[in-house]
Amino acid sequence: MTRIVVLGAGIAGHTASAFLRKWLNKKHEVVVVSPSRYYQWIPSNIWVGAGKMSVDQVRFDVARRYERWGIVFYQALCLSVHPEGNEKTEKGFVTIEYTEEGKKGEKREIWYDFLINATGPKLNFEATQGLGPEHFTASVCSYNHAEDAWNKLQRCFEKMKSGQKQTFIVGTGHALATCQGAGFEYILNIDHEIRQRGLRHMAEIKWISNEYELGDFGMGGAFIKKGGYITSTKIFTESFFIERDIAWIKRAGVYKVEQNKIYYENLLGEFHEEYFDFAMLIPAFSGHGIKAFDKQNKDITPSLFAPNNLMKVDADYTVKPYEAWSINDWPSTYQSPAYPNIFAPGIAFAPPHAISKPMKSKNGTDIFPAPPRTGMPSGVMGKIVAQNIAEWIKTGKPTLKHTASMGKMGAACIISAGYGWFNGNSATMTVSPIVPDWEKYPLWGRSLSNTLGEPGLAGHWLKVFMHYLFLHKAKGYPFWYLLPE
Amino acid sequence: MDTIKRGYVQEHYAPMPTKTTRFWRNFVPWQMVRFVILNLRILKIVVKGHS
Repeated sequence: MTRIVVLGAGIAGHTASAFLRKWLNKKHEVVVVSPSRYYQWIPSNIWVGAGKMSVDQVRFDVARRYERWGIVFYQALCLSVHPEGNEKTEKGFVTIEYTEEGKKGEKREIWYDFLINATGPKLNFEATQGLGPEHFTASVCSYNHAEDAWNKLQRCFEKMKSGQKQTFIVGTGHALATCQGAGFEYILNIDHEIRQRGLRHMAEIKWISNEYELGDFGMGGAFIKKGGYITSTKIFTESFFIERDIAWIKRAGVYKVEQNKIYYENLLGEFHEEYFDFAMLIPAFSGHGIKAFDKQNKDITPSLFAPNNLMKVDADYTVKPYEAWSINDWPSTYQSPAYPNIFAPGIAFAPPHAISKPMKSKNGTDIFPAPPRTGMPSGVMGKIVAQNIAEWIKTGKPTLKHTASMGKMGAACIISAGYGWFNGNSATMTVSPIVPDWEKYPLWGRSLSNTLGEPGLAGHWLKVFMHYLFLHKAKGYPFWYLLPE
Repeated sequence: MDTIKRGYVQEHYAPMPTKTTRFWRNFVPWQMVRFVILNLRILKIVVKGHS
């Protein structure tokens, strides 16, 4: 019997465990460890935060489903990895701590033959003083945060109805945060909801971001064919804002939040403050701080994890200047170079460097977006890791012939900008590849035929369609495995 | 009366969609066509992304 332990039941982890269970004989065991018993379709959290969907529409109880599928599930956190075992066993194992009621705080060890670390990001609110739902800002990074954001928004709507003007600020809450796309989507939804209530004259809406230019989205922006020109996503994004009378602050590294006040430094080295009544700021991401120990119980965390606690994989981590970056720096199999039976797909892997050009303020503060790796790429990575492990187990040979490099695969990002079959709106964006390939596409970095940006109602329909399609897949409904990631 | 002189503010350099552009973005028959085209274009990327 071979045991595969999957840490995390998000997009990458759930995809990997579902495919492993499908492809492997029942004599092999698939084990999932996740601190929550729910799977959430993260892209739809925006609609929870805008009051268009309930929490139960974007999540489902994955533990019950795993039981039916024959996957062993532990509702727990992973504390440490012991890839060489210990004095009692040669097999690698993980130490977990239960989070489920009744067993909370209890610890146990689970041995493995293969380990998939797909824990996703830790929402590192602590990296910015005063940031997060427990302090002064909202978040839409999880369904419960999004629900809280919607409650806060409704209170602002009530104040506007009673004649009090409100200031809304949305964007990045750290100088190195990513996921600008989620912030962009949320600010457009806030604008839509306020307009629907006839209150737009009572609201000031602002975007704040660590991007050098709008439309960077942590991937260095993109170039698209539009209106007879090849134009930047900066123009595309700014157009959305000007159409909706949304102001913007760019090149800003938020370093502190207080009640109704955001403090930031910009690339010019200036320090500014912004007043707000409602703010939704995306935090920095990091790994979960899992420790690693060798057979003698010596701490070997730095050999498995990068300083930001994300796992090192088959990337080229040599420090290079921006000009020397290449798509070949990016991983393709997500295998740990230290221990070949460990993999880290999705946000859990440490990227070799950013995609956006690193920028420093005059005071030496790094202010630029980290690379995004959510949604579609995470699903694809989870699947190829499962394919490679399944084939390794069946043939006994580690061929790792399935690859998914962000320097080769494309991604689609559909940004809803209002909800409704006839009055909805969206910005549909695709890029291919995700990491610009300046050798293959020396002029624009990406394929112009596969990179697009299109506003319109059709994208909104597409986003709704994908919500149901991907939940259908995640729930393992008929023919789920035929649907792409 | 306040007048707006365009320019010299970052927001004034962004392209503002015209009424006609906005009409096509929400014109259901045209958006149905775009829906099919967008699906096909995304499918192409998805298929290419799987090795």
